[in-house]
Amino acid sequence: MSGNIENHLKHGNNAIAWLVVTAGLLLLPLALGQGYYLSAMNFIALYSMVAIGVCLLTGYGGQLALSHGAFFAIGAYCSSILSLRAGLPPWISVIASQGFAALVAWGIGAVVLRLKGHYLAIASLAFAMIVEKLSMALADLTGGSPGLTGIPRLSLGGFAIDSDLRFYYVAWPAVMLLQFFALNLVSSRIGRALRCVKEGEEIARLFGVDVRAFKVKLFILSSVYGSLAGSLYAHYVTFVSPSVASIMFAIEILLVLALGGYTMLWGAIVGVAGINLLNEYLSVFVQYKRMIYGLALIVIVLVFPNGLFKGVADRIDSLVGILRTKGKSHAEPDARQ
Amino acid sequence: MLSLTRVSKHFSGLAALSEVSFTMREGSIKGLIGPNGAGKTTLFNTITGVYRPTSGSIALSGRDITGLNEEVIACLGVSRTFQQAKVFYSLTALENVLVGRHYRSRSGFMACGFGLHSSRREEREMREKAMHYLAFMGLAKRWDRVAHELPIGEQRWLEVARALATEPRLLLLDEPTAGLNERETEDFKKIVFGIRDSGVTILVIEHHMKFIMEVCDEIAVLNFGVKIAEGRPDEIQHSPEVIAAYLGAEEDDD
Repeated sequence: MSGNIENHLKHGNNAIAWLVVTAGLLLLPLALGQGYYLSAMNFIALYSMVAIGVCLLTGYGGQLALSHGAFFAIGAYCSSILSLRAGLPPWISVIASQGFAALVAWGIGAVVLRLKGHYLAIASLAFAMIVEKLSMALADLTGGSPGLTGIPRLSLGGFAIDSDLRFYYVAWPAVMLLQFFALNLVSSRIGRALRCVKEGEEIARLFGVDVRAFKVKLFILSSVYGSLAGSLYAHYVTFVSPSVASIMFAIEILLVLALGGYTMLWGAIVGVAGINLLNEYLSVFVQYKRMIYGLALIVIVLVFPNGLFKGVADRIDSLVGILRTKGKSHAEPDARQ
Repeated sequence: MLSLTRVSKHFSGLAALSEVSFTMREGSIKGLIGPNGAGKTTLFNTITGVYRPTSGSIALSGRDITGLNEEVIACLGVSRTFQQAKVFYSLTALENVLVGRHYRSRSGFMACGFGLHSSRREEREMREKAMHYLAFMGLAKRWDRVAHELPIGEQRWLEVARALATEPRLLLLDEPTAGLNERETEDFKKIVFGIRDSGVTILVIEHHMKFIMEVCDEIAVLNFGVKIAEGRPDEIQHSPEVIAAYLGAEEDDD
């Protein structure tokens, strides 16, 4: 019996998928060489970090917060300011920024996570708006609306991360580490508790889950995923302006999850890549981009409430199931993972 | 083991419970009966910390637990099932029972996220324990089924397995035999005795008179939030107050 369970342990499947994807990503530049796609991949890496964080908080934990753009901005500005104004080496300012972002997330989370559903969404959006305003208002620190330029690039042990290729080998390993952490988390007791909090806080409490503390920890974790992406972004593009604090950011990440599936960590990365691709093709229609996004979001939410890729995957699954059992009535396929 | 002293619970002036007192011996089975709306489930919610009593006090093994949060009371060894099975519908049967192991396990965000050896070992142990409780409730073969796919009866068993997985000292069962047929009720009786014999004290709400009379060592009767009688099953059956207030006031469910 226990052998049977081991076979079904999601750990096993996850580990193999993770190894294959990681190996593939590390080999990609060797296969394709240098080129424009590298910088596209680097941005996909950065936004994937944010998306994985949101997937944990919103997809698994059921907490719809719209503050991820704000934490991306906090990470970006904090690391830039520490490097430019305090003269810290970039990698130290990146680490210090995560500490700062975690503190902010703790303070904000402890307050806004008392709210649920739409109220949480609105409160966290208000926080994001405050951050957006602050990025302009604190001009002495943030450079005001022109922003900060000349942010030093990362360098690790004297090795300067000064090309798209080098940054690729910083960003993607970081993404895969964060993904590794997230995959482990969701298949552990913590992940189960997350799903319980999403499904019914009251019952989760009766099984000893300290829901309030739990949600705050999750929020901090998820926000640091965003702020780390922001910090790396700043040292990659060497320039930050209030546009990184745009509240549209959170909406776009939600679209990513709608594409990838709310409870699919791999879907988060696929979703980011999908949006990126879409951006390329839609660049001709720049002025309609948001309208197209909005429409796409509505259609996806209506037709595939569990996310586009997941919805399609489930349909294929149930089709295969129908073909297999031929004629036998068949229940909905398992909607998990 | 459990003692309630003059516990009252008012909802905006309406007394759902008025000065209810009783005690339970370690390892005993107590029945809680009374007409619908008598306050039985309210009493469960008050013991488990979902409601804070308006007045009175509740003690578990001599420790005052009045007004503690439900997660704290859960960790002190109180577990329950619900009138309508409240399993986690999107989780598998095994995962539901694993939730019962939650506070019996330690690994935090970091240990779980990094997949540390300690957290993996703990997870394996949890799974073994959880499988044991699934098997105890006859659900071993259903372990990988998502809970919403299970028939209602099995969701009920799953709830009991989840509650047992917490290794409770006090187990509260809210109408566990509702919807069960004669045979299943007989089977469940054996399960209840099995749970009691493993050292768990049980408080059970039930409308099924035959079941309650055969299973319980003692019975308390509630009517309009007031305890109107308490005693051995044979005493309760012959108590004139109970017959008048409860049995006489309403047709027997069975």
